[in-house]
Amino acid sequence: MPSILYILLRRLRLPLIALIVVYAIFVVGFVIIPMDGETHGMSFFDAFYFVSYIGTTIGFGEYTPQSSGVFTDAQRAWTLLAIYTTVITWIYGIGSLLTILQDPAFKRLLKHSKFARTVSEVREPFFIVCGYGDTGSQLVQALSGENIRSIVIDINEDRINELEVTDLRVPSLGVVADASRAEVLLDAGIQREWCKGVLALTTAESTNLSVAITAQLLNPKARFIARADSQAMQKNILSFGANEVINPFETFADELALLIKSPSLYILFAWLFAKPGEALTEPVFIKKGHWILCGYGRFGKAVYNQLSQAGVSVRVIEADPNKRDVPSGTVHGSPTEAVNLEKAAVKDAVGIIAGTDNDPNNLSSLMTALELNPDIFTVARQSEHQNAAIFEAAGLDIVLQRGEAVAHKMFALIRTPLLGDFLRIAIRFPDHKANMLVSRIIGAVNEEVPDLWEIRICKEATPALHNKVMTDSVFVADLLRDPRNRQKNLHALPLFLKRGKGNVMLPEDDRLLQGGDIILMCGTDHAEKLMRWTTENVNIIDYVLNGSVESHSYVIRWFRKFFAKYASHSTS
Amino acid sequence: MNSEKVIFAFFIVFAMTLNFGFFIGGMEEVSHHSEYELFAAIVVNLIATVLKFGDRTHLGAVFLATSLVADIQLVAAAIIWGLSSHVFNEAGHDWLPVVVSLSGGAFLANITSVILLVSETLSVRR
Repeated sequence: MPSILYILLRRLRLPLIALIVVYAIFVVGFVIIPMDGETHGMSFFDAFYFVSYIGTTIGFGEYTPQSSGVFTDAQRAWTLLAIYTTVITWIYGIGSLLTILQDPAFKRLLKHSKFARTVSEVREPFFIVCGYGDTGSQLVQALSGENIRSIVIDINEDRINELEVTDLRVPSLGVVADASRAEVLLDAGIQREWCKGVLALTTAESTNLSVAITAQLLNPKARFIARADSQAMQKNILSFGANEVINPFETFADELALLIKSPSLYILFAWLFAKPGEALTEPVFIKKGHWILCGYGRFGKAVYNQLSQAGVSVRVIEADPNKRDVPSGTVHGSPTEAVNLEKAAVKDAVGIIAGTDNDPNNLSSLMTALELNPDIFTVARQSEHQNAAIFEAAGLDIVLQRGEAVAHKMFALIRTPLLGDFLRIAIRFPDHKANMLVSRIIGAVNEEVPDLWEIRICKEATPALHNKVMTDSVFVADLLRDPRNRQKNLHALPLFLKRGKGNVMLPEDDRLLQGGDIILMCGTDHAEKLMRWTTENVNIIDYVLNGSVESHSYVIRWFRKFFAKYASHSTS
Repeated sequence: MNSEKVIFAFFIVFAMTLNFGFFIGGMEEVSHHSEYELFAAIVVNLIATVLKFGDRTHLGAVFLATSLVADIQLVAAAIIWGLSSHVFNEAGHDWLPVVVSLSGGAFLANITSVILLVSETLSVRR
């Protein structure tokens, strides 16, 4: 704040000096000009009083310093001059002050300093979100649903205004600034211990890269997840210690390719990334055959590569006739026209993907395709978040929204960091293994989307479990016991176990737990609460492991020991 | 030659010389201390203060601080003068030593300012 005061004063230097000089001249004038019937003028005290009230146009008119009560002509002439000059100087001064206060640069400075002050007062975990676009806004929404505050940096003022009017459960803070500048991230609290992570989601790759560098140098402990549009940049950002880098087009294309290659993996991923509380989506199975891809832009290219790698034959329809390096057999023309769809053999195709960045065109080409071939499987790419209602009403088989896909993935990775490791292994699962995993998850959870959580065996997070692991042998199966009735099992499934650098997929029931292990669990919300209870409460874990409840009062334990000894003595 | 530097140095030195002119003389001798000179010293000091606004260097901060000290001392002297002769209508000039000693304090602050100015000038070997 003091810096703002100094900037204000520096800008007001000229008006202030003008005021001082004008006041000085007129005060001296009234001191020199003799009063009526006297040889000397006013005293400095009287003169300063007089000039002060005429200058601010207060105009009391009560002032009669001379004995006769009348001003001399010389005094009047000087007063006239004084009135006009001081009034003009005041107007100039106040005018300059108002101009500065209205100045957009100064206003931004004021807002920024208020933002920095508010951030420094936050006393709860928060995430810094750079870029409040489609992905950013959905992530902020999801984070606030988990009662996590976000601090948003975006260079576009409209987006920050949008954030300010959005109704969030936890109010978020936003600032209009360039996230690639380190001081902006410092003001956003990157070095504070409450900063749990930094998410770089801007469309400018170079900004995301500099956020990565800043985050790595200023707070290596915070989780860092970035968006990158090219593979080169993805590697570059990863080299700066990013935990996860997500390429929106690839993520999106991967998802689609997965749907065609391995429906059970697709459904598994969809469940793991879904928001808690949603109903389970039914697995879809797609016939083998040839596909039509409309639009060969960045997204289209990524989808084409993925699908042709999987051995699926794809016909591309591209509206731009001048487009270079399109695959052979490409139909040139608008995909909304039935002629072009027929050229691409729509009647024999099993599915059509509308992948241009124009929502109405995508809808229109899918509608036309459905008219020509009612059995065709329709996949739409939705670019604008606000078009969700139209896409839903169109009754398409699958609607992919890039921002949503990325936001879901990022949110899941924020909540359970182990998920990233799990998915990298799971994506190579053969079909039968994926099917088995899906049916096991369905067995564990009932109707709802599985909830994911991590059990970290350490003193801070799970004191009771950590204690037991150090002294006794605890198995994975013990964790799954219901703390209310140990004969029953919780609705949960261990997905992944991380021990140091080693990973175990789907740890077996008889695996021994060790201190420092992190286990990724999947199951119902209720099961998570019960499992956490087991890991934190000494009495409960005793019951879960042995079925007995040992008293934790020192006196009672001492008495028990004493009597046990006494009993053994008397029998021998 | 930089005209901004000329104006800056002019006001700082002028503030000191005016202050010295007022301060010099017998402590209780009214005729040695002109009220015009005190008024001029206050005005010049205020202008010098405003000129120092906004310099974000460490030296600039010290400049501003010394100037503010001089302002406070001189304005306090003027207030004592004004109140004693007008509001309380004291007959003699018993309050004069207070006014003079306050201006003496302000004079020390002005000297500090000038020393800073000279040392800054010497550090620039051009």
